[in-house]
Order: sequence, then C-alpha cells, then structure tokens
Amino acid sequence: MSERITIDARGAFCPGPLMELIAALKTRQIGDEIEILSSDKGSVTDIPEWCKKVKHDCLSVDEKEGYWSVLVRKAK
Amino acid sequence: MSNGLFILLCSGEHEKVQMAAMMASVAAVSERPVEVFVSMNALLAFANGLDPAERYHGGEFSELLRAKDAPDAISLLQRGKEFGDLKIWACSMALDVQGWEMSHLEKDLFDGPAGLTKFLSDAENGQLITL
Repeated sequence: MSERITIDARGAFCPGPLMELIAALKTRQIGDEIEILSSDKGSVTDIPEWCKKVKHDCLSVDEKEGYWSVLVRKAK
Repeated sequence: MSNGLFILLCSGEHEKVQMAAMMASVAAVSERPVEVFVSMNALLAFANGLDPAERYHGGEFSELLRAKDAPDAISLLQRGKEFGDLKIWACSMALDVQGWEMSHLEKDLFDGPAGLTKFLSDAENGQLITL
C-alpha cells in the first residue's frame, strides 16, 4: 500500500527543496508519493528535471498562492 | 566523453565557495560523478570548527546569504557526498604552504590530499569549471 507524505519547504532557498525531497525519498518505499511545497521558483523546473534525469515520476506541478506543490512518486 | 564534473575552487570568496558547493551537490545528486579540488584561499574557508561568520567572507551577496539563512556550503557538500558520488580533495601544495594537516580541515568532508596533475588528468574527459 503506497503512502503519501508532504514536505513543507516553503521559505527554503534553492537547492534546499530538492535536497529535502531527496532525503525523504531515501526513507520511502517504491510507489510512495511525496508532495513537496516550495516557494522557490527554481525548484518548479529543477525538481521535474531531476526526476526525469534519475527516473523518478514527477506526477504534477501545481501553482498555489505564493508557492508550488510538486508531487513525486518514488519509482526505483 | 564522460559526464564527470570537475570543479577547481581557488577563491575563498563566500559567493564562489557557495556556488561551487551548489554546483557540486546538485550535480552529485543528479547521478553525475563530481570531484572538487580545493586550493589557495578556498582552503582557508574549510578550516575545522569555524562558525559561519568566521568561515565566510565576501561581498553584498555573502551578507544576504547569511542574513537569509541560505543553505550552508559545507552542508550542501555533505549532502552531495551523502546522496551522490562527490569527492573533495585538498590541494597538497596549499596544505604544505599553510602548514596544515588534513586534521586542520572540516571533519568528514575531504577524501584526502591530492596533486593537481592527477586532478587535471582525470578532468580531461569531463567538464572542468574553475572558481
């Protein structure tokens, strides 16, 4: 059964949100989802690009009020 | 051509140390092998046991980085080593000139002393950036 967690990285500067995502992925099972909240504009493109490169699934990127929500599924 | 990233860090300016740490850590966590060669004034920024005010000296951006609590360069490099393939070498010449041993440097960060010849030889097939 996959789980979903949320990491609130709002206020953290690049590459902080990416590093927090990676640290969290290390502790999750394949299939688990991590929603990362970030106010850093660079992370909006960096996280999907990183997922593509290392082959995790970036499921969605949603703009909210003053921040973004990026949903990643651990694929390996 | 290999996709290795080789960073030659000579400047002790906070902004350049920070950028080197950002490039190294992001590349390493993106499954790219990275090596950083620390020499000249940059070596001084990695002295053991300094607090940020003692470690980081720079210009306007240095002040902003510290005031806004941006990710610390040492922490970024530690993350890069933890999550990726990142090696950090201390220039043996700079150590000798400074009269330092490896124990004078920030703990658990460096992979050893190294010479420029080996670093440049390894960098021949990768991408070399100098700061």
